[in-house]
Formats: sequence, structure tokens, C-alpha cells
Amino acid sequence: MAYSEKVIDHYENPRNVGSLDKKDPKVGTGIVGAPACGDVMKLQIKVEDGVIVDAKFKTYGCGSAIASSSLVTEWVKGMAVDEATKIQNKQIAEELSLPPVKIHCSVLAEDAIKAAIEDYQRKQQAEASAAEEATGS
Amino acid sequence: MDDPFAILGLPRSADLGRADVDRAYFAALEAAHPDKVAGGDEAARRRAELAAARINEAYRALRTPVGRLETLCRLGGIDLDSSDPKRGAPMPDTAFLTEMIERREAIEAARRAGAGALEDLRDAVEDEADEAVAQARRALAGGDVAAAARALVRRRYLARLLDEIEEAMS
Repeated sequence: MAYSEKVIDHYENPRNVGSLDKKDPKVGTGIVGAPACGDVMKLQIKVEDGVIVDAKFKTYGCGSAIASSSLVTEWVKGMAVDEATKIQNKQIAEELSLPPVKIHCSVLAEDAIKAAIEDYQRKQQAEASAAEEATGS
Repeated sequence: MDDPFAILGLPRSADLGRADVDRAYFAALEAAHPDKVAGGDEAARRRAELAAARINEAYRALRTPVGRLETLCRLGGIDLDSSDPKRGAPMPDTAFLTEMIERREAIEAARRAGAGALEDLRDAVEDEADEAVAQARRALAGGDVAAAARALVRRRYLARLLDEIEEAMS
């Protein structure tokens, strides 16, 4: 199958590969998988004052899955969390010119960023309620 | 939906061996061989060719133990090649996916450790993949297609991991 130039670029020079400290309360981690093909994707964000200041990913899968997650980490850096929740797989698929059989890779990347944001928000709520308890209010 | 077991005249069973499948395959091919109808008309010859193609396809699906188990799941309503949330491959839990990421990281560590570390990792993953196949077989014997599908998805992940370990070894 022919990959688009953008997919090949992200595949050969993936942006933001790596990990953030998943125990950091400012870090949200999303781990998702595509069971039909055995792909697994981890996407992490670091949030300060409602803005995503860093993003990292590790994807073990095909070129399209790697490119989709690489692209999303690039997009979300500097983005407000609220804005990042609006990212849709269609935008990813269009940007990378993914063929129909690879659309599920962009769905995976959308699921991963949503899961990372949810994880971050869960942590923030847990922290807030812990702080409330500590002050007895 | 085609039933490869029926095409080869085999019972829908997880306990078939390669020899059973081979025997059924050659018998089915023999019965449908285009040469047998060489004297017949064009339409009959085409039908025979089509039958042979279906037999070959059925054989490809059933010749490996994993292929037989995955086919039984598909006939039971769960298609492991599909991402459909209801009728497709079931999503493994996050703990398993996390483990799959961490074990990729272990490949790097094992490569640096040298002295058989990658071989140990490969042997461990091979055992787990075999165990997943055995689980799927037991689940299907008990009529639990969903549990079999979950085990077979784990096997797919482990097979991918194994490919990467072997790539690191080469």
C-alpha cells in the first residue's frame, strides 16, 4: 500500500516519541489498542494552567498509527485542554491522506488523546477533593 | 457467510488436527477437480474452478490451529479481523495494553543486557501465546465464544510482540 508523503515523514521522523512521568498530577496518560491488528498506542500530555505544554507518545503499530499519534502530539502542544478534546479522527485522516483501510488508525489517535485528557481530569478532580478534605471545607 | 468447515466437509471442531484438515482438503479438491469435467461444457468447467477456489480459501483459513479457532469464533459471531465494537475483536483491558507497552520497553533493555536475555524474553512470550491458544480452545469447547475471542486477541498482541523480539534478535 502506498503511504502519503506526510505519513512517511512522521514515520521516519516521529515527533515527540517518549514518555512523561505518569505519576505526575499534571500528566494525563491514554493507552488504547486496536484489537484486530494488535496495535497499541500510549499518548501522554502535560498540562499547566489549562494548556497542554508537552505531549509524548509511544506507538507500536503500522506506519499510519505511528504517524497519527505523532501528528496529534504535534497538534496539541500549546493547545488549551478544551480545544484538544475537539480533535476528531477526520481531521487526522485528512491531514495524513489516510486511505479508507487505515482510518481506524486515526480513530485510535483520537481515542488516545481523549483518554489522556480524561485521565488528567480524573487526577485533577482527585487532587481537588483531597485538598478539600485536607482543609476540612 | 462461508463456512470453511462445511466446504471441506469437516465438523466445526477445535480438536481437528492438521492431518484431518489436509485429508479433507485433498478429498474435496479431488471431487471438484476441473479436469474431471474437462469434457463438459464451459459453464461446468467454470463452476468447477470456482469450487476449487473456495476449497483453497477454506483450506487457508483452517490449516493452522489459530486459523481454526479464529474461524470458529467468526462462525460464532465474533470476527477478529473486524474493529466493530459489537461483532469485531474485543478490546483488551488497559492493564494488558500497558503491559504490552512496558514489554516493548523491555526488548530494548534485553538487547542491551545481551547474553541470552532476548532469547529468554522470546521463550516467555512464546509460552504465553501458546497458553492463550490453549485457553481459546478450552473456551470454545465450553461454548464460550466471547472468552475465546478475548484469548485470541491476546494471542495477536503476543504474536506482534514476538515479531518485534525476533527482529531485535536478528
